[in-house]
Amino acid sequence: MPVWLREYRWRQSAAAVFLSLPLPPLRATAASIFCTEQYLKVSIPPFLFEAVLYAPIDDINSTAKIENGNIFFTLYKKETGMWDSLMIENANKEQLQYLRENAVLKAQEKAKEEAEAKKVTKQEHKKYTLEAMMKLEEAERKRIENLKEQERQKVTRELELWKNEQTYTEGQKRIQREEKLRQEVEQLKENKKEKITKPTIPNEGTSKTTVKHTKGPSSSSMFSENLKEEQLPAPRSAGTIKINFTSRVFPTALRESRVAEEEEWLHKQAEARRTINDDLAELKDLKEEEKNPDWLKDKGNKMFATGNYLAAVNAYNLAVRLNNKLPVLYLNRAACHLKLRNLHKAIEDSSKALELLTPPVPDNENARVKAHVRRGTAFCQLELYAEGLQDYEAALKIDPKNSTIEKDAEKIRSIIQGTSQDL
Amino acid sequence: NLEAPEIPVYSVKAHKEIVNSIDGVGGLGIGEGAPEIVTGSRDGTVKVWDPRQKDSPVANMEPVEGESKRDCWTVAFGNAYNQEERVVCAGYDNGDIKLFDLKTMSLRWETNIKNGVCSLEFDRKDINMNKLVATSLEGKFHVFDMRTQHPTKGFASVSEKAHKSTMWQVRHLPQNRDIFMTSGGAGSLHLWKYEYPAQRSKKDSEGAEMGVAGSVSLLQNVTLSTQPISSMDWSPDKKGLCVCTAFDQTVRVLIVTKLNKV
Repeated sequence: MPVWLREYRWRQSAAAVFLSLPLPPLRATAASIFCTEQYLKVSIPPFLFEAVLYAPIDDINSTAKIENGNIFFTLYKKETGMWDSLMIENANKEQLQYLRENAVLKAQEKAKEEAEAKKVTKQEHKKYTLEAMMKLEEAERKRIENLKEQERQKVTRELELWKNEQTYTEGQKRIQREEKLRQEVEQLKENKKEKITKPTIPNEGTSKTTVKHTKGPSSSSMFSENLKEEQLPAPRSAGTIKINFTSRVFPTALRESRVAEEEEWLHKQAEARRTINDDLAELKDLKEEEKNPDWLKDKGNKMFATGNYLAAVNAYNLAVRLNNKLPVLYLNRAACHLKLRNLHKAIEDSSKALELLTPPVPDNENARVKAHVRRGTAFCQLELYAEGLQDYEAALKIDPKNSTIEKDAEKIRSIIQGTSQDL
Repeated sequence: NLEAPEIPVYSVKAHKEIVNSIDGVGGLGIGEGAPEIVTGSRDGTVKVWDPRQKDSPVANMEPVEGESKRDCWTVAFGNAYNQEERVVCAGYDNGDIKLFDLKTMSLRWETNIKNGVCSLEFDRKDINMNKLVATSLEGKFHVFDMRTQHPTKGFASVSEKAHKSTMWQVRHLPQNRDIFMTSGGAGSLHLWKYEYPAQRSKKDSEGAEMGVAGSVSLLQNVTLSTQPISSMDWSPDKKGLCVCTAFDQTVRVLIVTKLNKV
């Protein structure tokens, strides 16, 4: 049970009530004051002072001062007038209770309302700041956009100007052309028809001045074609330039850093192909390069190309003496013999070449085809057509796509059939 | 035509083997005279095509029959300063450089620079031929002064070694014909400036005119990649803007500054 404080003094004016309440010592700071329109409570546990006021007061503006062990209340009346007493006298318990509860409720509501109001103002403040920020950012963006726009417009303006220039010059040219057309047409009517020569048209660079035609065309359709080409010369007349390359044995590109290696490799290759049979007595008076079968083969080829078949055969002979394992030498010698009509020797050489060209692999296909063809030719020239046909068919088997071999084979077949019919 | 890119304006089966290099002149306002395209191929031939003539070349530079063929790695047009004159320069993998004159349909000059020729360019296609730069394997390039041809010695040249690897391409700056960029197999780009000598030609002992080569100085270099930079080109509109491609599958756009002050 709280201890009621009942000693209090009060006085009043028309508009206010002054109440002073002595506090028990040592408790001044822990006072909790609760005041609504018609109810006042001071609670200093365990002490309690309560007053249900005679008339409503303006509780928002009323003040309470705590000093010197007293609390001074200044309560502003809502309605001016003198009160009979501070508190309602003949209030029964229930009424008091009711009033108390009411007061508490009212206080709570007020508190709620205040809280609400605070929230609302806070929100508004937030909104405001947000809007302000957005405005700033918007302004920045607009500024950048404006700059971009300006640049864009500048460029489009330049483009427009350029376009206009172009159309203008186009217009000029067209007018010139039309005028020329008229002139030329008139000229046509007067002149006789002439042959068209290559129109040599001067530079486009001087397009502003009138462009002259050298000869008038013979019909208006050709005329318009000429106009189209008036600014360009005709396509060049076709030509061919034959070139020779600096010789290089290797298929790879030439590099300075590799030159030394390559030379060494070639040297070694040449050494390997050199004299297998070293016949000192006869060979000592030959020059160094003449002992090289490759060199001799090249010589032989050159002489064959120029038609000097005997000399070619000599070269190949010497080469064979030096190295009798190279099939290409026999092949080429066979060709020479064919040309010289030494048919038996041709057959011998082709056979020897074919022997050396075993095993039959795709690499020596070409060589084998050649060998078969040459031997076949030799046989046919000796009128041994059956053997010749055999060789031609062998050649065809290796290289079925060669049309000349096919044709020759056909010819031989027909000859054979022809002779057999005769018999 | 970039506005209708599905249909080619001109197409032809040019060579039997891969076409290694292509160049054009005459169209787009570069050079005077007929528009022509030149192609160089592994089959050793260099052919010149006119887009108005289908299927057959207007000029064909091919090896003599029976001669073994070398890869043509690069071709370039030059000397197209009026309607009749034009030259084609071709570089091969065995180090040959051959200069063909299309007006006379003949071989005008040839030389061998001892390394396979990767790239050739005249400093300008549309003027009287002034300088020719040839880059090659082994990181060397040669600058030939093309204004004076000596009957036996040909054109004078100066050469430099850089990049320590294949020099894939040379390109002259469109706005200044004495500055060129070379791209290398080590992923580097070098910017060079050519300075002319005091006298570009002098008389030799027999009184024939002989060219004098100037000097080349390195302005700047940069290494962009570990892979070779196979191709680069300058923008014709903006000075210093260039683009390059490399074997690391990137295309790089570069800006070279202070070219005004060179």
